[in-house]
Amino acid sequence: MKQSSNPALGRKKLKQALEAYSFLIPNLILFLSCSIYPVLWALKYVFYQYGGYGTGTPRFVGLENLARVFRDKVYWESIVHTFTYGFGKILIIIPLAFFLAFLLNTHKRGHGAVQSIIFLPTIMSSAVMGLVFYLLFNAYNGEINQYLMKAHIISQPINWLGKDHAMTTLIITAVWGGLGNYMVYFIAGIQQVSTDAIESARIDGANRLQTIWYIMIPMLGPILKIILMLAITSAFNDITNVMVLTEGGPNNATMVASLYSYQYFFPISAAQATVPQYGYGAALSVVTACIAGIVTVFYLKLSKKLDDIY
Amino acid sequence: MLKPVSAAARRPHLSGKKFWMAAAKWVFLGITVIFTLYPIIYTILGSLKTNAELTQGGSFFPSQWHFENYYKAFMEADFLQYTVNSIIVSLAVTLLAVSTCSLAGFIMARRDFPGKKLLSAMYLSMMFVSLGSITLYPIYEMMHALNLHKTIIALIVALTGGQAANVFLVMGFTKAIPRELDEAAIIDGCSIYQVYYKIVLPLTKPILAVVALFAFRNAWNDYITGLVMTITAPALKTLTVAVVQLKYSVNAAAEWHIMLAGASIAIIPILIVYLFANKQFIAGLTAGAVKG
Repeated sequence: MKQSSNPALGRKKLKQALEAYSFLIPNLILFLSCSIYPVLWALKYVFYQYGGYGTGTPRFVGLENLARVFRDKVYWESIVHTFTYGFGKILIIIPLAFFLAFLLNTHKRGHGAVQSIIFLPTIMSSAVMGLVFYLLFNAYNGEINQYLMKAHIISQPINWLGKDHAMTTLIITAVWGGLGNYMVYFIAGIQQVSTDAIESARIDGANRLQTIWYIMIPMLGPILKIILMLAITSAFNDITNVMVLTEGGPNNATMVASLYSYQYFFPISAAQATVPQYGYGAALSVVTACIAGIVTVFYLKLSKKLDDIY
Repeated sequence: MLKPVSAAARRPHLSGKKFWMAAAKWVFLGITVIFTLYPIIYTILGSLKTNAELTQGGSFFPSQWHFENYYKAFMEADFLQYTVNSIIVSLAVTLLAVSTCSLAGFIMARRDFPGKKLLSAMYLSMMFVSLGSITLYPIYEMMHALNLHKTIIALIVALTGGQAANVFLVMGFTKAIPRELDEAAIIDGCSIYQVYYKIVLPLTKPILAVVALFAFRNAWNDYITGLVMTITAPALKTLTVAVVQLKYSVNAAAEWHIMLAGASIAIIPILIVYLFANKQFIAGLTAGAVKG
């Protein structure tokens, strides 16, 4: 108990602690410098005006940056776009992934191969595929419009990356890239639902649809909660695809919050020059992180309420 | 019409309704598979077409197979250099991630030490707090202060990052290994380092393989970190960064075939990895190896 009263024990404790830290040091250096330090940095510069190396010393401006965030109309539009993007993606991807998981969760011939194929996009670079989609969805030379016109589904080329359709196109590509992930989550979930419950329901005369609706979905509740939460938080972080495919344009139509704060740090494209405003950019991303946090807490509260109803 | 009937006849237990259900299921799966594979096939076949054939469209397969597109990408667009960069960076990140997470995860699972609670809390909070890509700037500034900003080390360190989630993954896996094994070894006179190296490390190989697979994938596919960290050192660009930047080259409109050749060079290695390790990728996802 009292270490100081026993020097030998104290020395042993010290040695054990040193041993422990000798294992931790390599990761600790990375963790402190690449995870903790940048967050502290951002929290500090929320209160400063700073243009980076060689632009003079940072100037303390108090809450000015945060006040500017709340006045920034484009930023709040980007929050709306983030929600549009997130809801659009979730509304398509969750039912589709669940349905695929439902079809594919048994070990039948061909199921494994189809799973592997649907999972394939999740291992590919979203930046490189963003470029490919940029070519595919090109209004005049892109193959999508060429096929659609050849099949006489459309007579005029659709401007997929134009103001009206850019968000839809973005959501389609996000569904392409993420479907496999959510399918695998659902398959893992379905395999946890006991087959006994399903079988007894079938014996009691429930048909397939009833089994899904009354047994499978309620029993998937807890895992569905986790999956939805992953979907919500990831919607706030998706940035690469937007950056390559639409660059937030045209005219900010697809500017999402993460990309909006990014552009105060670095240029979005090689064709663009920015004057960095690190303090303001930090304020934007801190506010965005808070909004994401609030949405998550709100979602958790809501799903708890739903639990009580059940 | 003939085909489905004969298929049904071969399986007499498949009643009419069941047969049509199965048919509908496979049609749906077929459409999903086409939706999934189409952009990938377009990339690879397109990389062998001429620019004119690509932009005018109309052909699925190239009318002539232009393998020289790859030669042009490698030689004229400098992709040879960028491929080497990507390989070095991805392997280094994988090695760094696996070794640091293995060491830290082991000790977090096996020892109590002062500051452990605080460290756990910090790891956990970093798994949930995300400020996005802007955190690359302080890292860049730090590398600048250390005069490392024009070296490949900056990119490797920034890409490896804190690895909080992976430390937790290894820790959880190690906790499931019986402590009696360590204790027996300690009684036999092993130090903690020997316990780690001789006993726990070999037993944690499955989870380290998951960490390695995802670290490699993330490093190979990364775009933003590579873009930001090589702003002042263009020769260190990775493949993905170089491919996407073709979009902004002066004659981008005439270089779709080069873009697709570059894209193919970037995706084919990971496709090959996936061909051999698709089961591990899928199982690794549910082990909690990736977020989102």
